[in-house]
Amino acid sequence: MGAITLENIVKSFGAVEVIRDVSLDIPEGELVVFVGPSGCGKSTLLRLISGLDQPTSGHILIDGKDVTRVSAADRGLAMVFQSYALYPHMSVRQNMAFGLENTRMPKAEIASRIEEAARMLEIGPLLDRRPGQLSGGQRQRVAIGRAIVREPTAFLLDEPLSNLDAELRGTMRAELAALHGRLGKTMIYVTHDQIEAMTMADRIVVLRAGVVEQVDTPLNLFNKPANRFVAGFIGAPRMNFIEAEDGRVMGVRPQHLRLADGGLAVTVDMAENLGAETLIHARTDKDQPILALLPGQLTPTRGENLSLVHDPADEHWFGADGLRL
Amino acid sequence: MIRFLTRRRGATGDGHGWHWTDIATWVWLIGGTILMFGPAVWLVLSSFKTPAGLAEFPPTILPYAQETTMLGDQAKPLFEVTLEDGITVTMAELRRVGIVAQMVPPDQPDAEPLKININDRTPVRQMDFATENYTQPFLQFDFVLFLRNSVYVTVMATIITLLTNSMAAFALSKYEFRGRNAVMLLIVATLMVPLSVILVPLYSVVSAVGLINNLWGVILPTVATPTGVFLLRQYMLTIPDELLEAARMDHASEWQIYWRIVLPLAAPALAVLAIFSVVWRWNDFLWPLVVLSRRELYTLQIGLNSYAGELNVQWHFILAMTVVAMIPVVLVFVFLQRFITAGIAGTGLK
Repeated sequence: MGAITLENIVKSFGAVEVIRDVSLDIPEGELVVFVGPSGCGKSTLLRLISGLDQPTSGHILIDGKDVTRVSAADRGLAMVFQSYALYPHMSVRQNMAFGLENTRMPKAEIASRIEEAARMLEIGPLLDRRPGQLSGGQRQRVAIGRAIVREPTAFLLDEPLSNLDAELRGTMRAELAALHGRLGKTMIYVTHDQIEAMTMADRIVVLRAGVVEQVDTPLNLFNKPANRFVAGFIGAPRMNFIEAEDGRVMGVRPQHLRLADGGLAVTVDMAENLGAETLIHARTDKDQPILALLPGQLTPTRGENLSLVHDPADEHWFGADGLRL
Repeated sequence: MIRFLTRRRGATGDGHGWHWTDIATWVWLIGGTILMFGPAVWLVLSSFKTPAGLAEFPPTILPYAQETTMLGDQAKPLFEVTLEDGITVTMAELRRVGIVAQMVPPDQPDAEPLKININDRTPVRQMDFATENYTQPFLQFDFVLFLRNSVYVTVMATIITLLTNSMAAFALSKYEFRGRNAVMLLIVATLMVPLSVILVPLYSVVSAVGLINNLWGVILPTVATPTGVFLLRQYMLTIPDELLEAARMDHASEWQIYWRIVLPLAAPALAVLAIFSVVWRWNDFLWPLVVLSRRELYTLQIGLNSYAGELNVQWHFILAMTVVAMIPVVLVFVFLQRFITAGIAGTGLK
C-alpha cells in the first residue's frame, strides 16, 4: 500500500502556472525526493498530493484509486511540516494523540501507538512536555512521531531538516533514512538541499519552474544528467560548461579535472583551501569561469596560468537546446 | 529603594543636583499620580463618611466623627470648650438653644449646666469609619438583587461576546472567501456609530421581540462588538496556517480546529477582550436604564442612580456602593492583566 500516481497535474494561482503538466509514478515503499531551486513548485506539488491544495486539472491516484477530490484527512497520508506545526498548547503526548482521538480510536490503542513511536524515536522522557520546552531536534522527532502514530500509507515531508543546524541535520538525515528502511512506507521528501537528496533518495525528482526535468536514481542523475539544468543543479561544486564552436556545450565536473600539461589553459582567480582538497576558481582565455576541485593543498597565486586536463569519459555533451546528446 | 526612587539625572549628569528635566519629571509623575489616584482615594475615604461629614465645609480627607459620651441613657456630643478664664476643658452638650449651648463636664452629669457660646467650643473628633454606609444597602435595600443582576448580565454577555466574536474573527482571519475584506470593513465601520444614534431603533427591535424588562434585553444587543472582532482577528492572523493544516491532516473538523486549536492559542487576546467586556457590561448605564424599568431587574449602575432622588441625594450610599461596584472591575484587572502580555502562540514553531 502507498503507491502514488500523478497524472497531468496542473496548478495555477490566478494567471500564474506553478505546476505544469506533471506526471509521476511513485511505487510503494520508495523514498522519493523532490528537489529544485526555490520557487520551482516542489512544495506546491507536495501540498497537492497531501490534499491541502486542489490541482487546477489532472488526477492524483493512491493505490490506483482517484483521490483528487478526497479531503486531506481521508487520503491516509501524514505530513511533516517545515515549521513542524506542533500544537504549542498541547503536550507532546497530546500532540501525537490529537489525530488519533479525532478518528475515535480506543484510548488503549492510542496509548500503545504513542508508546511504540516514542520508543522508536527515543522521545519517551519528553511526552509530558510542551513543544516550547523542546530543542529543535526534539521538536523534529515529535513531528515525525505525530506522523508515525497515524500509521499512514505514505509520509510527506516538507523540508523537515531545514530548521536544524548542520550537525543535527546530518544525524537526522541518517535517522530518517533508517526509519524509512524500518517502516518500509512510501516517503515523499521535499528539499532544496541536494546533499539530502543524494544521500537519502531512492529516486530524485528534479523540478524547475513547475516542470519535471528528470526522475532517476541519485547516481544516474549525477552520471547522466538529462539536460544542462540538471547537470548544473546536481553535484557540488557545480559542473563547468564550456561552449564549443558549433553551439554545443561540453560539461565537465570540477572533480574530474586534474593538473597536467597540454590541456585547457586557465588563469587562476582565487583558490579555496578545504584541507583535503583545493577548489580553484579560474577562467579560460575566452573568459569562461572554470571550477576545479584538486586533491591536496595547493597554493596557486592569482593570475598564475594552469593547464587542466580530464578524461574524455567524464565529458557530458549538451545540444543547443540544452538536452543531453 | 529610596535611592532608586530618588534617582535623577542631576545638574551635571552624574546624579547630583537638579536638572530642569528632573523637576519636570517629578512634577509630571506626581501630578499624574494625584490626577489618577486622587479621585479614587477620595471616593474610598468619603464612602466612610457620615452624611454630616460629607456636607461639612471645608471638607476633610479622612472620615471623622464627633466623640460622644453616655449621660444617663443618652449619647451626648463632646466639645473642647474655652472658658472665660482661658482654661480649655472637655464638656458634653446637653441641649442647645440658638447660639448658646448648655454643657456639663462628662464626669459630673448632674452638675449645674454652664451656658456656653457655640463660638467658644470645637467638637472633639476622632477618625471613624461609617461602615453602615456599606451594611445598610445590603441589609435594608435591594442591593444584593442589583448585584446579582449585574453579575448575571456581565457574565452572560461576556461569555456570549467571547464566543460569537471569536467565531467571526476565526472566519475573517482564516477562511478565504469573496467579500471578506468588505465584511471586515463593515464591522469596523460600526465603531463609528455611537449608541445614542441607534438607541431608538434598537429599543423598537428589543421591544418588538419582547425583551423589554428582561435581562436578556440588556445582554443580547451588546454582545457583538466590532472592537472584539477586530482585536481577535488581528491576533488570529498571527496564528500560523500550518497549524490549522496540520490539524486538518489530523482529521480535525473545522469546529475542532476552532475549538481545540485556534481558541486556546488566542487565549491572550480572549483575555483582553474578556477584561474589556466585563468592564463595559459592568459599567453599562444608558442601555440598561432604557430597557429595565422594574426595580427588581435593576443592575448596579441603575440601582446606584436610584439613590439620587429629585430632592435628596444619598451621597453616603452612592459613594459606598460605587466602591462596591468598582471592586469586581479592579479584581478583573489585577488577575487578568498578566494574560495580556503572555503570548503563547508560535512557541511550537521553529
